[in-house]
Amino acid sequence: MTDAAVTMDFHPQPAPGQPRPWAFPTPERGGLGNGLATLRCHRPGQQVVAVEICLSVPLDVEPDGLDGIATVMVDALSEGTAQHTAEEFAAELERCGATLRAHADYLGARVSLEVPVSRLARALALLAEALRAPAFAASEIDRLVRNRLDEIPLELANPARRAARQLSRELFPASSRLSRPRKGSEDTVARIDAAAVRALYQAHVRPATATAVIVGDLTGTDLDAVLAGTLGGWTGAAAEPPPTPPVTADDTGRVVIVDRPGAVQTQLLIGRTGPDRHDRVWPALVLGTYCLGGTLTSRLDRVLREEKGYTYGVRAFEQVLRSPAPGAPDTAAGASVLAISGSVDTASTGPALNDLRAVLHTLAADGLTQAERDTAVQNLVGVAPLEYERAAPVANTLADQVEQHLPDDYQAQLYARLPGTGTAEATATVVAAFPENRLVTILVGDASQIEGPVQAAGLGDVGVVPG
Amino acid sequence: MPTVAVPHLRAIEGTCTPVGHAAIQRAGSGGLRATEHRLGNGLRLVLSEDHLTPVAAVCLWYDVGSRQEVSGRTGLAHLFEHLMFQGSAQVKGNGHFELVQGAGGSLNGSTSFERTNYYETMPAHQLELALWLEADRMGSLLAALDEESLQNQRDVVKNERRQRYDNVPYGTAFERLTALAYPEGHPYHHTPIGSMADLDAVTLDDARAFFRANYAPDNAVLAVAGDIDPEQTRRWAEKYFGSIPSHGGKVPPRDGTLPGIIGAELRVEIQEEVPARALMAAYRMPRDGTRECDAADVALTVLGDGLSSRLYNRLVRRDRTAISAGFGLLRLAGAPSLGWLDVKASGDAGIPEIGAAVDEELARLGVQAPTAEEMERAQALLERGWLDRLSTAAGRADALCRYTVLFGDPQLAFTAIDRLLDITAGEIQAIAAARLRPGNRAVLVYDRVPAVGTAAGQASQAAAGENGQPEGARP
Repeated sequence: MTDAAVTMDFHPQPAPGQPRPWAFPTPERGGLGNGLATLRCHRPGQQVVAVEICLSVPLDVEPDGLDGIATVMVDALSEGTAQHTAEEFAAELERCGATLRAHADYLGARVSLEVPVSRLARALALLAEALRAPAFAASEIDRLVRNRLDEIPLELANPARRAARQLSRELFPASSRLSRPRKGSEDTVARIDAAAVRALYQAHVRPATATAVIVGDLTGTDLDAVLAGTLGGWTGAAAEPPPTPPVTADDTGRVVIVDRPGAVQTQLLIGRTGPDRHDRVWPALVLGTYCLGGTLTSRLDRVLREEKGYTYGVRAFEQVLRSPAPGAPDTAAGASVLAISGSVDTASTGPALNDLRAVLHTLAADGLTQAERDTAVQNLVGVAPLEYERAAPVANTLADQVEQHLPDDYQAQLYARLPGTGTAEATATVVAAFPENRLVTILVGDASQIEGPVQAAGLGDVGVVPG
Repeated sequence: MPTVAVPHLRAIEGTCTPVGHAAIQRAGSGGLRATEHRLGNGLRLVLSEDHLTPVAAVCLWYDVGSRQEVSGRTGLAHLFEHLMFQGSAQVKGNGHFELVQGAGGSLNGSTSFERTNYYETMPAHQLELALWLEADRMGSLLAALDEESLQNQRDVVKNERRQRYDNVPYGTAFERLTALAYPEGHPYHHTPIGSMADLDAVTLDDARAFFRANYAPDNAVLAVAGDIDPEQTRRWAEKYFGSIPSHGGKVPPRDGTLPGIIGAELRVEIQEEVPARALMAAYRMPRDGTRECDAADVALTVLGDGLSSRLYNRLVRRDRTAISAGFGLLRLAGAPSLGWLDVKASGDAGIPEIGAAVDEELARLGVQAPTAEEMERAQALLERGWLDRLSTAAGRADALCRYTVLFGDPQLAFTAIDRLLDITAGEIQAIAAARLRPGNRAVLVYDRVPAVGTAAGQASQAAAGENGQPEGARP
């Protein structure tokens, strides 16, 4: 390559320096007089403090026919209180430079606050007000319900969201809350009113079953005094957290095409269920899943993206849906969804599915190599200081642990266990997690273009549903 | 809380792979410092040392973006960014990704109108590796660049375009509005993703010529922030980058100057199968680097950032004609900036009704300055934005590169918030009166095509759970 004359001086690849110690932060556990559990964690330099409130409101407690009410309820906490109208409350928060987000999910509900530490006390007072004395004014609930009804078509128009909905519907029986949309469907949302929202709040939102996680640079903040003066004033009777219902799933290998005539790409979502983090195979599952589809040098993208150019990227991942405390009476097993997700151009749908299957087949036949296992461990453990630089990801992980009934040092222990997880164990776990003939394949795309090639791919029966 | 559709101004730039990154001290100059150096070959080096956590961020900005592309080759700068990850003289194939990730680092690149950036965030003891890798491709990319990489990454980029723009509702709004807001032939008329036809037309010779014209030490800024030893880092930069020749022959970008005001409303209405009617608009705003641009930023924050802005309160809370209403500033230094309005209609609310309310609110700001409480809110949100941006080593390195490349002074990164906080209510009123007028905007309206029978009803019935948004693997 004569025109690529290179004139720089080359040096050999440098060796790493001496690693500097880093550990996932250990939170300090405590509690307030009202029964609210607290986890606090000082992160030097992080001026934006992250606060997570975990509420024991898993979607299973939503009344029959009112799917989506937990989402409306937690959203409505910040839409007006006994002291402030919705508009005043939002403005007060924003004058603190604060953001407040709420999220209701299968495992529980969360209210997440981020605020510069200089205005932490003011923002916590507002958060406490929202938890203690929400107004649930009929006109605000009505607005949230109507907004939610408007958002449903927006979400369904997104092929990745549409695929996720179809997979839940395929995997879980209609009787299970897990089969139905997290934020409800048009008919259930339309039935939600202020009285039902207040009833759900009164039954399940209370400090005794909640946890507050506070992470950030707490130098110079008298957090005990701040908490006592804010969240400490939230009252409610003691209660047991709700039980976890059992899960059944149908992972018979099959294909469902969600028809989108004219779509230029096919969205793939290929999955089944797996264990939760309490299972001792979790570190091996994380490792194996990374090797399969964690990044663009993992097995799937090495072929589908970097060799064939079928996609911008395909990822394999796990998402926990059920995680009861081990050993508690009457508890069902935990569960997660394990899946492969990405989109490919319409014409490449058949070839991409064939290659994807071949990747799984080769993995099962030949296993992972020691080198790829080593690289995966180095990445998963090595990126931890980067991932947890800010306060919010730390608070989020600690809150996940609370919600999933994991010990406070779970993440720290995971980083200790990954390097001890061998190639054979990671191979066996990921192969068992993604058996090529027991996967439910959802394809959101143009059925008239892709149905033939998909039939030929031999992934099981092929059905088509409207988009 | 309802979702707020503040335009994701960073997300609309072309990027290589989705990788998250982001945040230290107060947003102002307090606590943060940077030093600036220049190598013999013209490479500018900016160093910012702190020891909060054992992370070092490398960020390299090349002063080239889609504005340098010529007719028939739109998308070349971004496609080229992908080729930078395909190996160089000493780095085989995907080695750049493999070596960084294997070292516990994260990496990516992105392309915008006026720059292309590459970054590696590393555990502090792996910093030298990232510098070696960046130097190798700056100095020797053409030794590895071949037809096979080009063909493959062309297909990847075309799939990126399909995934992010063509196969999602409103996906092409950004390029449609940009094309309206900047006239035909203007360097910002097209967006970084480019057109399918132009991507198909790119040849290996185009890619080589693009590299030779733009990728050289004297057209780049290297920032390293975080847990570093500045002296050692300088020695490494000299060792790895110092021998790469400068070229001194860069063609300056075409002039992006336009009149301050568009002069008449430019409007496109399209009928498409979208889930909600939408009103989007791009207002011509002052260039980045001016006090007027900062005033515009505060004005748009008052009007359209957060859940208690004037537009949100009016459209979502009171009129209840919209489910989201956002107005934000896309800052540009080489051409007028864009004020980006995005409103999604609620239920059967019509665009004329929403448009009239927007016009009323914009006109009101031109005659009625923000109240003290509104100023406090806007300032707190802007300060928060800077705190977030500077709270990671990668965010600090990126901000330092930005102010060095675009304005020649890294220190401006630490004083950006002070400049915003210095803007008065009177200046906001003045900029609103001058700029937020119908005659200074490009408008894009999405109306729905009439519903087709049962499909919509069935789709909502088929709705189920929400598992399965792909994210990077995390233990």
